[in-house]
Amino acid sequence: MSASATRTAPLPEASRSWLGRVAWHWRYDPKLELWIGWWAMIVFYQLYGLLFFLVTRIQPPPDPSFDVPRIVQWFGDRHHGLLIGFGIVFLITGMLGAVNALLAYSMRRMSVSPAFAYSYLLIYSLSAVPGMLLTCIALVVGAMRPDRDPRLISWLYDFAFMAFDGTMGVFLIGSLVWMAAILLDRNRVFPKWFGYLNLCNALTEVVVAPAWIFKRGVFAWDGAITWWIDMVVFVIYTGVFITLIRKMIVREDFGTGPLPE
Amino acid sequence: MKNLATPASFVPGQPDMWAFVLFEAMLFTGYFSVYMVCRMQSPELYLRSQAQLDLRVGVFNTLVLLFSSWSIARCVQAAREGRHPAALRGAFLTSFLGLVFLASKVLEWSREIRKGFQFTTDGFSSFYYFLTGIHFLHLLIGFVVLGVVVYQLWSPARRSQELVETGATYWHTVDFLWVMIFSLLYVMR
Amino acid sequence: MSAGSDKRLLVAWLALSAITIASGALASLGGRDALRPNAALTFGVIAIALVKVRVILREFMEVRHAPALLCRLTDGWLLFTAVSLLGTYVAGIATS
Repeated sequence: MSASATRTAPLPEASRSWLGRVAWHWRYDPKLELWIGWWAMIVFYQLYGLLFFLVTRIQPPPDPSFDVPRIVQWFGDRHHGLLIGFGIVFLITGMLGAVNALLAYSMRRMSVSPAFAYSYLLIYSLSAVPGMLLTCIALVVGAMRPDRDPRLISWLYDFAFMAFDGTMGVFLIGSLVWMAAILLDRNRVFPKWFGYLNLCNALTEVVVAPAWIFKRGVFAWDGAITWWIDMVVFVIYTGVFITLIRKMIVREDFGTGPLPE
Repeated sequence: MKNLATPASFVPGQPDMWAFVLFEAMLFTGYFSVYMVCRMQSPELYLRSQAQLDLRVGVFNTLVLLFSSWSIARCVQAAREGRHPAALRGAFLTSFLGLVFLASKVLEWSREIRKGFQFTTDGFSSFYYFLTGIHFLHLLIGFVVLGVVVYQLWSPARRSQELVETGATYWHTVDFLWVMIFSLLYVMR
Repeated sequence: MSAGSDKRLLVAWLALSAITIASGALASLGGRDALRPNAALTFGVIAIALVKVRVILREFMEVRHAPALLCRLTDGWLLFTAVSLLGTYVAGIATS
């Protein structure tokens, strides 16, 4: 159970500096990979927020009812932000792998079938394509040649935001898989209320569906219901699972039974 | 009021489900508030569109769900007292009433759509289909939950009182969310 | 105890159903005239709905027997919803 901990017990650690502690963890901590994954997740989400909201400024999403000249202007206003911001996004996208791996790992630690973890991994690996990459590619292509035919730019605008906000189906199924795993789990990896929170998250992903139909109002891709309320739920959900995964890593004993509290 | 028969305070079912109930309730308050804001921006239009709805169907739907809430509450009581056949009957009655609501909603939607009252017709109709639609989704999940309740009550080997109460808590939520939706879509002027 | 709580549930259910029918009847009292905005009716109907939800919470969902925290949370949500909906409604009437 705690065999690995006792193996490293003789080594002093508390007296060292911050750097010394990091070095100790690097050499001896059996949960090192989990912590690296968790920190990668933190870094990724901070960068994501920064890049999407402040650098590229594509979130909150712009108005779907803009006319073509207005759309061209939108691209013009963000020309450098789009190119630089998404350039960085393309570099760090791989960090999502750490996020998905940790979530799948949490399911492997549960008493449920490994199928849950693997299907989640598969679904979420694919979901980054429509859920993020297609949007970034389309917007970068739009920003790349400002003198392109305005109608093509307008097409890229629609494509980008529909890819980003309209394709929630993959995330919906993924949330349901994680929910089912949590509710069936007997190892108490996560509290049951988090299973139910996955259901809340899944339901808000259904709520985005009207974005395909409406170009203005509360059901458009920038609407109060389809974006703003959804974003509040998503932020809460993300904050919660980052905290719970941290707790899981702290409690982890690499066994197969219930996770100690 | 405080006598020997009064039970000590307890949380029915998993507290986790209560967390979910409160979260969903807040979410729906958000949706209702957005609806109210939009409605107050064009009250005449919303009122005219609302006239397309049949109030009697709304009342019927509400009565059906209230009945189903009563039957699942009775089911919980019966299970608590060890009267499992009665509890099972209560759960089945609840499921049946849920199906009545489902059928009624589908019929109502198809009638409204044929009349030309559709999701994209106007602001009110969008909210109507959105709110009743998302509620309908909660109802469908409710059938899964009732399935768990029936499964628990069926065999003496299981019969987790906690799960039965948890399921009932969820079902009541489907009911009280509808009570709000009914008043906001069908009744308010 | 069982008969007592059974009776309570029955009374709660019948009362809720009666109120539902009554509010429906009230709303259709205007006949064709029901197309006019009616602040008193709306205010009343929303308030009544919240009361109905509170009855469902306290009687059916047994919040009556729950620890104080749950009572406060559910009442808090009801209050928040009341303020949100009625506040928006009144503000909308005042500015139209």
